[in-house]
Amino acid sequence: MKSKVANKPLEARKASPLLVSLSAVFLGIVAGAILIAMIGKNPIAGFDRIIFGALSNVRRVGNTLGMSTQLILIGLSVAFAFKTGLFNIGASGQMLMGGITGSILAYYLPLSMPRPLYLLIIILSSGLVGALWGFISGFLKAKFNVHEVVSTIMLNWTAYWLVYDWIQRFIVDPTIVVKSKPIEQAHTLRAGWLTDITNFSTLNYGFFLAVIACVIIWFILDKTTVGFRLKAVGSNRFCAEYAGIKVNRSIMISMAVAGALAGLAGLTYYCGYSNIMEMGKMPNEGFDGIAVALLGNCSPVGVFFSAIFFGILKMGRGSLAATGIPTEIADTIIATIIYFTATNVILANFWNGRFKKSFERKEEAIAIALSNQGRSGEDISSLSKEERRNLVKLGMPELKEKRKNEKNNKEAK
Amino acid sequence: MRKLLAVLLVLLMVFSFSSCSKEEKAEATSTTSTGTEVEASKEEVKDALKLGMVTDSGTIDDRSFNQGTWEGVARAAEELGLECTYLRPSGTTTTDYLTAISDLYDQGYRFIACPGYLFAEAVAQAQQMYEDLMIIIIDDALAAGIGDNTVAITFRENEAGFLAGIATALKLSEGEVGFVGGLEIPSVQKFNWGFQQGVTYANENLGTNVTMNANNFVYSGSFADLALGQQLATAMYDAGVDAIFAAAGGTGVGVINEAKNRRLSGEDVWAIGVDVDQYSVGDMGNGESCILTSAMKDVAGVAYDQATAAANGTYEGGRHIELGIAEDRAGIPATNPNLTPEIEAQVAEVVKLIKAGTVTVQATGDGLIK
Repeated sequence: MKSKVANKPLEARKASPLLVSLSAVFLGIVAGAILIAMIGKNPIAGFDRIIFGALSNVRRVGNTLGMSTQLILIGLSVAFAFKTGLFNIGASGQMLMGGITGSILAYYLPLSMPRPLYLLIIILSSGLVGALWGFISGFLKAKFNVHEVVSTIMLNWTAYWLVYDWIQRFIVDPTIVVKSKPIEQAHTLRAGWLTDITNFSTLNYGFFLAVIACVIIWFILDKTTVGFRLKAVGSNRFCAEYAGIKVNRSIMISMAVAGALAGLAGLTYYCGYSNIMEMGKMPNEGFDGIAVALLGNCSPVGVFFSAIFFGILKMGRGSLAATGIPTEIADTIIATIIYFTATNVILANFWNGRFKKSFERKEEAIAIALSNQGRSGEDISSLSKEERRNLVKLGMPELKEKRKNEKNNKEAK
Repeated sequence: MRKLLAVLLVLLMVFSFSSCSKEEKAEATSTTSTGTEVEASKEEVKDALKLGMVTDSGTIDDRSFNQGTWEGVARAAEELGLECTYLRPSGTTTTDYLTAISDLYDQGYRFIACPGYLFAEAVAQAQQMYEDLMIIIIDDALAAGIGDNTVAITFRENEAGFLAGIATALKLSEGEVGFVGGLEIPSVQKFNWGFQQGVTYANENLGTNVTMNANNFVYSGSFADLALGQQLATAMYDAGVDAIFAAAGGTGVGVINEAKNRRLSGEDVWAIGVDVDQYSVGDMGNGESCILTSAMKDVAGVAYDQATAAANGTYEGGRHIELGIAEDRAGIPATNPNLTPEIEAQVAEVVKLIKAGTVTVQATGDGLIK
């Protein structure tokens, strides 16, 4: 019974999220180019360096994907919470908790363990601890109406100091007391064959983990009733409640899943990308994830590509700086792009306005063409697409003429 | 909106053109100034060494390690007419350092200076990956093995601390001293041990009477905790300490700030700086400073030496260099406005004795506080 509605009312096209995101990226790049030009360097050469730094050989591509891994997972975490109308600003803390779990297990589990079993254990436990950390915020929100922004920020610092203490207590490096002992290669997510084919890059199993997570999250959100309930709570929690959806349960589930994703990001970051944890360091990735989710319009596919994009920028900045453009400028470019993604409402309005104008013009042109053919009373929406296109072509010259005259008249007055 | 976009694009084009032309102009002037040697110099420029540096967790203007190294590298580059740049890595893990080193290497940099023990693992890996890269690490002996093209540099901080201890004891002649360290790592410990020996030496041989109390010798556990440094200093000055040796980076700046405040309110207390001449850090805004003297290690000097050697082809990799007073790479600043000429002369005497080998400063904590 899925026949297309032939005569649905015509209206102007809406700006698609993809268009909005791409224009944000474009504006960010333009702003970055202006910055580079202002310090007297050639912007095109600058962006060439960024591409060079991120993608010029296998190792660099591997590094970029390695860097993108945690951004994908963090982006997913923030996006998933967004879908339920929650702002997970605590991804950094959840990351730390997932990371410390993985690091402690890597330190204490025997090296003789079969690798697949070992990997399964650390992935599950990091995810679980991250989920617990996210669940606390969800629970507080559901039961006591504590705003999740407040509780997640608090939990960020709780995780920060717990990790500070646990590194010293359990996994300290005796030679340098501010960081954990480097994890053996066999106990990280790095894989010999991946390292070999990418020429010592940071690419590790975490990337596949991230891709799988994207698919799973897409499935949950788009294909299951749980996902539907979560999204319903996100769009209007009172309406959802009225419809019989358990709002409190949805909030707790959503925060727990978001926490689990961030926990996995911590695992890939501290036990894959890097092999140490430092004391007194809040990972920036938790906040980068917010930008990734925004740019990716909170959809799993969008998050994947926007994370890769940020990965390219982050890996390319080193090469950019090596040409004499200060690293600080490279960071500013990234920040500018983030800023433009955050103001996506303005961009959407801009495009919607343009589409509306062009739609009105076309409408007018059709009306003129129709009246020329003596069919003036006809309903536009009853015409086929082909016909409409032809009519627009017929009416456009006359409309342009008319506009011109109007303009001239105005100026004459 | 459309107009705005157009304006932005126009601006972009204008700027990029102006910047291009600027570069061209610079090139043009340089070619005219070199005159007849144009051809020859062009050949050289193609193969000329590029000097690079990667910063550790601090910034390039930290008035300490990074800044010192950069000054040395930049001076060498300027004198030899070479290109130089520094990179700030995106984080402080081995991976981040290694990425930064690779970024420089791929841009053609074949000499890279890495200041700080945090680089140990990254340098160990980089020396295997890039065999034609001349890389130096400062403050770590690379216990795991030094590659053929690597130079590991450490200092005898105990000797610099020793001189600072003598100078402090002579200035106070009677009183009490304390110590605030960063992390309890060898380079900081050696400063501490040397300082104590210096005070004791002055008491025994130069007629001073300065006391040291174990409670006032503290490792703060951080190089970046300004507030903690200030708290520790407050407690020590309140307990009657007259001068504190602050070997703790940013935490030490907290100590110096407290000394500044107290001097401004009329108390006669001092702070002793570390790593570089920190006289300007203790500037009180009235032309005076609360920094009595500084226990220096000449980071800029060694960075300059190695960079010059690399450019002149006299670079010798695969070794560990330890520098101290004998090599004139450790000591107190050449000018100390807060020390009298007599004290400076007495310290210079001790320097001679150390160079002659009649006085030795132990590099271990045996029999000392912490």
